[in-house]
Order: sequence, then C-alpha cells, then structure tokens
Amino acid sequence: MPLKWVLHWQPNAGTTVNSQIINEVTQVVESINGIKEGRWKATITFYKPLLRGFGGEYPRDFLGIALPEQPNKYYLIIRPLRIVLEADSTITMIMEKLQSYKQRVSLNFEGFQYQLGDFQLRVGKVLPNQSENLRGIVMEVEYLPISSMEKARQIMEEFMTIWDQAVLKRALPGHFVHMEPNFGEFGLGDQYTSQHTAVQYAAVMAQLIATVQGRN
Amino acid sequence: MECVVQGIIETQHVEALEILLQGLCGVRREPLKVHEICLKSGPNLGAVPSEVRLICNLEQTEPTWTVRFVGGAMRGAGAEQLSVLVRTVIESKASKNVLRLFYALGYKLDHELLRVGFAFHFQRGTQMTVTVSSVNKMPQLHNTDEAVPVTPGIQLVEVTAPASSETYTEVASAVSSFCEYLAPLLHLSKPGISTGVVPTAAAAAASLMSDGGGTTL
Repeated sequence: MPLKWVLHWQPNAGTTVNSQIINEVTQVVESINGIKEGRWKATITFYKPLLRGFGGEYPRDFLGIALPEQPNKYYLIIRPLRIVLEADSTITMIMEKLQSYKQRVSLNFEGFQYQLGDFQLRVGKVLPNQSENLRGIVMEVEYLPISSMEKARQIMEEFMTIWDQAVLKRALPGHFVHMEPNFGEFGLGDQYTSQHTAVQYAAVMAQLIATVQGRN
Repeated sequence: MECVVQGIIETQHVEALEILLQGLCGVRREPLKVHEICLKSGPNLGAVPSEVRLICNLEQTEPTWTVRFVGGAMRGAGAEQLSVLVRTVIESKASKNVLRLFYALGYKLDHELLRVGFAFHFQRGTQMTVTVSSVNKMPQLHNTDEAVPVTPGIQLVEVTAPASSETYTEVASAVSSFCEYLAPLLHLSKPGISTGVVPTAAAAAASLMSDGGGTTL
C-alpha cells in the first residue's frame, strides 16, 4: 500500500482556521498542477464508557476511525496505550450490542483529492457531524510508488519543500505540520498500511484538540 | 442471526460420523483448531453486563482473529415451536491486537476453551456448517499446548446455519431435516437442552464402519 503523511493545519498564534485558508490551499495545489479528482471523507468517532457505578479505570481517547480507502473496515485506537486494531466494519454493530461504550462526538474530514504525478493529495475540512463549524484543516500527501516509509522519506521531504515554497508566496496565517507518530510503539512496521493512517489521524485529532484548548 | 443445534457423541463413534457426514455433505472436511476466549465486562462497565468472544483460528499458518457477539435466543411462540435455536450473531474479523484492546476497554477473562476437530461447510437447502470437536480447557492461562479435554471420550457436534429475520423459518426447517439423517448416531437439540448419547449410536457406527457409509441408516 502506498504510504502517506497526514498533516494538520497549525494556525499562527492569535489566529484561527477559516474557509478562506482552504480556498488558498486549494489554489496552491492547483498552482503546482494538481488535477482535481473526486471527493473524500474520513470519520473519527469518540467512544465513551457507559458506567453503572463507580470504580474501575477506563480509557480516555478511545476512537473509532472510518477511512475512505477501506470501506469495509473500521479502526479502533486507544492512543495513550498505543493500541490500534483493524476490524471489519461489523465491529461497530458489536460495540452497539455490547452497550459498554457509546459513540459520542463524530468529526468528519472531508474535501477533494488531487493527482500530482506520483502523488495524491487530499485537502480536507474538519467538521463536527452535521455541522459546518470548521474545526481544522488536514492534508494527506500520498506517494503512490512506494510502501516503505523509510525509502520514501527523502522524496516526501522534497515534496514538502516544494509545497512550502508554493505556500510562502501567499503569506497564509499558519502552516501544515507533519508530526510522525512512533509507529513501532503501535506494533506497526516500515511497510505502510491503513493502520498507519488510522494512527496518524488519531495523532492529528490530539493535535487539533490541543490547539483548541491552547486557544481557550 | 443463526440457527443452531448441538449434541454429543462418544469419541469412538466420531470416525463413523465423519463417514456419514462425508456422504451427506459432499465436500471435504476441514481441520478445526480454535482457541475461544470468552470475555465479560468489568463490574461497573456498561448499561448491562456484556459478553464477547474472541476466536483465534490456530489452523492457519498465521493465526487469525474473529470477534463474535452472541445475542439472546429468539423468544415467542414461534421460536418455542422450532427444534432449533435462533439467535443473533455478529462477527468481525480483527487484527491480532484484539485481546489487548478488550482488556484495555475493561473486559475480563471469564473462560477459555480450545476446540479441536473438523468441520464441514456445505449447502443443503441453505448454507450449513457441522463441526465435530473435542472441547478442551487450559490449566494455565492461554496455554493451548497443555489443553486437556473437559469431557474425555465425548465430543461436541454443532450444526449452524446463517439466517435472517425473513429466512429463519426455512433455515430452521432445513437444519432440522438435515439432523434427521444423523439421528441414529446422535441427537441434536437446542443448546442447553442436553439429551446425552443415543442408544443406537454403537450399532449405527458399526454399520457405517463396516461398509464405509454405503448402508442407508
């Protein structure tokens, strides 16, 4: 499977995300000859324990993730414990039946994807389910020919250099950040998989929450 | 949903049962070795106590995991009249971290079993599976190599068939009809309703073994 980096928009101090930034980012993609393809959407859902008494320790940050490239799969992550699970999407029905954890907040990551030679880019808004209240911006950079993260590292960094130069001209109030999780701690290797993507989205989610809390 | 019946047979008659099943099912048997881990929710977790099973298929080169939820049996006059149990079942394949995840979510080990035997997957009016297996317990946690039979000399036979709310009547009928062919060797009934071994088993097994299943029972 091709590897990808999932980046999140880090606003400059004192600024917030807004739709104009998405428009500017889209124009940058098109300025480097990105060809617009279809729409994409990923969803992260926060699960919270249902408790009928006191006592016991239950995980915070228990997430479920649905990815567009794996329509029949679902990913469960407990990030503080470095646990990621890939399961059939029927796992959501099992969780529903168990009545031990309930789905609470859901966030959608959605937008358009673009082809740039051997790269595929996805630019997306972060929106609460059934809301247009923009919470963040993400970008996926996928390099199609290679599955090894280490082998692709240099070319990914070179792409980001080109990207940063294209963005610089627009004086945007922020920049995209790539913070690579320690995949080894999750039991994941160098060959890229959708579990790596799920782990990256969980990390992005943590960053988005930290950004909002930092502002508040 | 699934329709399910169970029964027991003495290990000495399993070979005869296999001959009979081979003739009835028309497919090759497949080896069966599954480690079944039954987890229950911790004392305060959930609106109600819950149970989930993790099934590890040890027959593969690389073990594969399935999460299995078994719901309560269908109730009502219609269900009572059926000779098979109809119940909700939901399964999900999962990656190898699944036990660790459920422990982290607050689930505890209730019991674990190792089932070793064989299975037939076939079509007879509906998709059906027959499993014949010894049920083994593990004196040491998760140690499948040291498993010992729960009931030495006795094996469990289970017939299951997937169904839906629209098809369960027909599926139940197909399962019941199939079970009639096995009647001389063993009696199959709803789980929890045990009828023991059948008195005709020895004679039926001898007949099957003597002419390799050519005899009509």
